[in-house]
Amino acid sequence: MRRNPSSPINRRRFVHQSAQSAGWLLLGASAARTLELRAGSTSQPNPFAYDVRALSRTDPAVIGYREAARWQAPHPEARRLAITDAGQLLVASGHSISRMDANGNVIAAIPLPGPAHCLTTTPEGALYVGLGDHIAVYDAQGKPSTTWSAPAQKAWLTGLSAGPGVLYAADAGNRVVWCFDTAGKILRQLGRKDTRRGIPGFVVPSPFFDLRWHRDGLLRVANPGRHRIEAYTPEGDLEFFWGKPTAAIDGFCGCCNPCHFTLMTDGRYLTCEKGLPRVKVYREHGDFECVVAGAESFPENLKHGSGQAGQDRPNPGLDVAVDRQGRVFILDPATGAIHVRTPNPPVAT
Amino acid sequence: MPPAQDNPQSRRQFLRSTARAAGLTSVGMLVGAAASRLTAETTVWQIDPAKCLRCGLCATACVLEQSAVKCVHSFALCGYCELCTGYFIPEPNALNTAAENQLCPTAALQRHYVEDPYYAYTIDENLCIGCAKCVDGCARFGNGSLYLQIRHDRCLNCNECSIARVCAGNAFRRVPASHPYLLKQTH
Repeated sequence: MRRNPSSPINRRRFVHQSAQSAGWLLLGASAARTLELRAGSTSQPNPFAYDVRALSRTDPAVIGYREAARWQAPHPEARRLAITDAGQLLVASGHSISRMDANGNVIAAIPLPGPAHCLTTTPEGALYVGLGDHIAVYDAQGKPSTTWSAPAQKAWLTGLSAGPGVLYAADAGNRVVWCFDTAGKILRQLGRKDTRRGIPGFVVPSPFFDLRWHRDGLLRVANPGRHRIEAYTPEGDLEFFWGKPTAAIDGFCGCCNPCHFTLMTDGRYLTCEKGLPRVKVYREHGDFECVVAGAESFPENLKHGSGQAGQDRPNPGLDVAVDRQGRVFILDPATGAIHVRTPNPPVAT
Repeated sequence: MPPAQDNPQSRRQFLRSTARAAGLTSVGMLVGAAASRLTAETTVWQIDPAKCLRCGLCATACVLEQSAVKCVHSFALCGYCELCTGYFIPEPNALNTAAENQLCPTAALQRHYVEDPYYAYTIDENLCIGCAKCVDGCARFGNGSLYLQIRHDRCLNCNECSIARVCAGNAFRRVPASHPYLLKQTH
């Protein structure tokens, strides 16, 4: 049979093109199936999800602060904050401590031999830095002065606070507080479990164990595994404690909180929590007052540990400092951001 | 036709040497394959805990009726918390073993008193379905001592693992059968 000259295609070409089209079709279907499998794995809701969405929303009525500024820590791996009596902010990040003025400008940097896990200053300007198991001392100009050796085996220092003539160091590794004199000599240890003295002992499931000396003469120490803050005399007697475990806004969430805290000049507490990252104010006797920043203020931090961050790192927590004017500085190590928050103006009635 | 004087090789010689080369190559391939089979290490599937997103698909995508993926526990990392967020729902009404307070849908995570205020947590693998709910609770608030692993007393080691195909975090990989687990020691 002769080929029809009006037909633009012959049988061989038709079969060839049909086979080619079928091949492309199969390839497309296969790719779509693969993509669907991949996409379906993330798009479908997880029936086993650990759902804290409801808990991560804060009632606006209890938020007593608003954001005034947000700065970025000068170096990556920002961990801790402190504030000097002169109102300068000290930010421990990487292997250095940056001194920042009230507007967030870096005015000096102190290089460190390792990462700082805690720091504090004295009214005289001395700077104490916890470098894992030991303490490095710097003078008011930021020059290294001396180094104190580790107080014990397995020491892991996570909190420092200076009292009159003494330095208190929270040791998460040994679950005790060390009291040093200004020469670095250990005077005593506080908080070891002692049923005769009614001391329950510190429970420190993760390396978050903070303390703060107050001018009323008592040392406040977080007992994160018991979800409370305890007050000790300089001799180590437990005077009182407050705090309760709950995911509700008036208590401490998760297995081990508060992770960090500080004291305001009037004795009120600023507490930080991890897991549900939030910063709150408690009155002198532990009554909940308000929220400085809720979990919605730290979306990247909230992802940590949830699997959404795509990495298996320990929860970084938050750290907080407050100046004499009542400005609250919150460090979010997940992003390196320093949130500056001020109290809401009083509502006119 | 007589072979050309300038051609040093006859057709017969050419065929013979070609056949010899092909034969030797085949023998070489056989020897190589046998040698590589003798030396190559068998591999098995395992979950990299650093990549696991706790998406829940390990519980449903395995070809087995009950998934070969189980929760395992690194006791060295555990805080032995009284309020374990891997064990309790986010807002338990009491810190006890009542079913309504437990996070695990099958009660596979079990709580044992050690001393005040410490509790040890163990996994009943016959009950665990590998849903990772406890893993997420532990990692979000605590040290991440609970995590998922493929248990090789159950895993069929399919060529194409049906969970690996859908794993949202690409956490499945082949590991040597001589070291079949990717254990968390520290963070």
